[in-house]
Amino acid sequence: MFKRISLLMVILALVSLVLAACNSSDPEDCSSDEVFCVGLVTDVGEVDDKSFNQSAWEGVQGAEGVDKVEFIETGDAKDYGANIALFAEDGYDVIVTVGFAMGEATAEAAATYPDIDFIGVDQFQGEAIDNVAGLIFNEDKAGFLAGALAAMLSETGTIGAVLGTDLVPPVVAFKEGYEGGARYINPDINLISTYHPGGMDVAFTDPEWGASTAKQALDQGADVIFGAGGKTGNGALGEVAGAEGAYCIGVDTDQWETAPEAHGCLVSSAMKLITPGVQALIAASKAGELPAGNYIGDVGLASFHDFDSEVSQEIKDTLSDLEQQLAAGTLETGYNPGG
Amino acid sequence: MAAQETETMQERESVGKRLWRSASVPVLSIILALVIGGVILALSGNNPIAAYVALLRGSFGSAEAFGRTLEKATPLIFGGLAVAFAFKAGLFNIGGQGQLLIGAIIAAYVGFAFDGLPFIIHMPLALIAGAVAGGLYGAIAGALKAYTGAHEVITTIMLNYVAINLTDYLADGPWKDEGIIARTPAVLESAVIPTWGFLPFGFLLAVLAAIATWYLVYRTTFGYAIRTTGINPNAAQYAGIKVSQVIILTMGISGFLAGMGGAVETLGVVGRYQPGFNLGLGFDGITIALLAKTNPLGVIPAAILIGAMQAGSSQMQFSAGVPFQIIDVIQALILFFVSADIIVRKVFRMRETGGEKITLSTGWGS
Repeated sequence: MFKRISLLMVILALVSLVLAACNSSDPEDCSSDEVFCVGLVTDVGEVDDKSFNQSAWEGVQGAEGVDKVEFIETGDAKDYGANIALFAEDGYDVIVTVGFAMGEATAEAAATYPDIDFIGVDQFQGEAIDNVAGLIFNEDKAGFLAGALAAMLSETGTIGAVLGTDLVPPVVAFKEGYEGGARYINPDINLISTYHPGGMDVAFTDPEWGASTAKQALDQGADVIFGAGGKTGNGALGEVAGAEGAYCIGVDTDQWETAPEAHGCLVSSAMKLITPGVQALIAASKAGELPAGNYIGDVGLASFHDFDSEVSQEIKDTLSDLEQQLAAGTLETGYNPGG
Repeated sequence: MAAQETETMQERESVGKRLWRSASVPVLSIILALVIGGVILALSGNNPIAAYVALLRGSFGSAEAFGRTLEKATPLIFGGLAVAFAFKAGLFNIGGQGQLLIGAIIAAYVGFAFDGLPFIIHMPLALIAGAVAGGLYGAIAGALKAYTGAHEVITTIMLNYVAINLTDYLADGPWKDEGIIARTPAVLESAVIPTWGFLPFGFLLAVLAAIATWYLVYRTTFGYAIRTTGINPNAAQYAGIKVSQVIILTMGISGFLAGMGGAVETLGVVGRYQPGFNLGLGFDGITIALLAKTNPLGVIPAAILIGAMQAGSSQMQFSAGVPFQIIDVIQALILFFVSADIIVRKVFRMRETGGEKITLSTGWGS
């Protein structure tokens, strides 16, 4: 019987090889001047992470005048450089690297490959490098709007935030902005903000912790919860969706599209508009005008979707007023990364 | 008794036969895992041949690729040795990850904080400091087992969390580099483990460590005490072996090996301690140790195999469009077949052979 099974396996393997050999494709040559290729290297994680990697990848796919797009998912943070080099050695014209953590590897690759343009999503540029554009966002401003919205929606006077790790500065900026926005509306508001206590390896991939932390905040009277931290934050959103009369706010992208489990509570999301930012930078590179240094992308709140009727016109007016003041720089969020 | 008999039997056999006898199940498990992995690839619409060719190209296709394979294999050898060594005393050290992190951050500290030392002193000092720190950390679990009976599986898992949070705290607190990124400063030039051409010096250290571990286990009195304790701690006690001492020392040496792996990674690859850069290395050690059937020398080829798969996975994504997670699937399948070797024996119609049995773990409280 076992002989038959092994025989079956061999046949299966052979058949599969023949089948698979039929759909091999012929790749375009990226080193040619006529072919404009854009490669994307993800941060540790997957390209369909419903967050950063996915938004950046959508930007790459949506960019105009691009002949070939490809991505490599990073499994080990030590492989950043090697993964970038795979695209560079193949003659890609633009390489998008996603995430704060890849900044150094991107700068090194930019020095090695001066003819290639690099777009570093969420990578602050201390010194401008000619062929690197860092797409950055004022997370504290997005967080401020989310906090203001939360404070205006809250009836209990208690709101919460479930966050990824404070080892990552943008997460801190979201939190500080959120609290600043909430206090701006209601100075006496009770804030329950919790960072994931684990390391980088679990802080963004722990939906169970996110859910239980959200539940604790709900038990303490919070009726609006801000979930900011990849899958951990999504776990919090999903938990709040099951609670009666509580709202939740997503992060980074319009999570209405990416976290259907949160439809029961998701009033809005504090967005970094990564997709249009990446698109704009790829277009600039194609035109030969990549802006070296930092490129500040837009932030904003996502649409209210099903909760549009529950958000009063007064709240909407206040939010758009705050948004204008923040953009004009006349309103401080209270976030001060130096201190 | 049984172990002694097979040992004398093995001595009479030729080297080739002995090698096949111990390596047959792992080798066939790898083949089986690759075949099943190929079927999975084909079913998901990929060309398995193209994927495996890309995997080979990315791991052995050029000097740089081979260098990357050895670089990936280095911490796996240390992690595998740590687990394999503890197995010899019947201890299941799941704390390799924590011991490795402690070793990595202590090596980073000595590497960046001790200024003005020449390479010949600084590098070995940082290396040994990391290893000793890992060893002391491992010995905690050993002492808990020896004096309170707390099972090492539980204590090492919990100590992993302590290590993760402790290192995160240090890298984001007292030992933090300037700037906003949570990490230690870069280690000084005099503490960096060099790479000769494509050959990382750390790999040679790992091979030396494997040979030393083999010698310790099979050619010394202490090694005999360890193996005796592993087979039957009660009998060992009766024979006059101080079992609690053996347990503490074994966990200490196991942690020493894992810590040295972390130190080599810090000083030779990453160049500093940064949270998130040493993920899973200690846990892969368990796979390596089982694949090597807990033989310290077998750890070397096992680590090179897994290291090659990790090094080649990006090339495989790029050239063949295969997600890197397939590597985890194949790795898991290998582990599965090695542990459940009866499946491999049935598929390839092999007879049950004698030899050393791997005791995964002793029962609670023993």
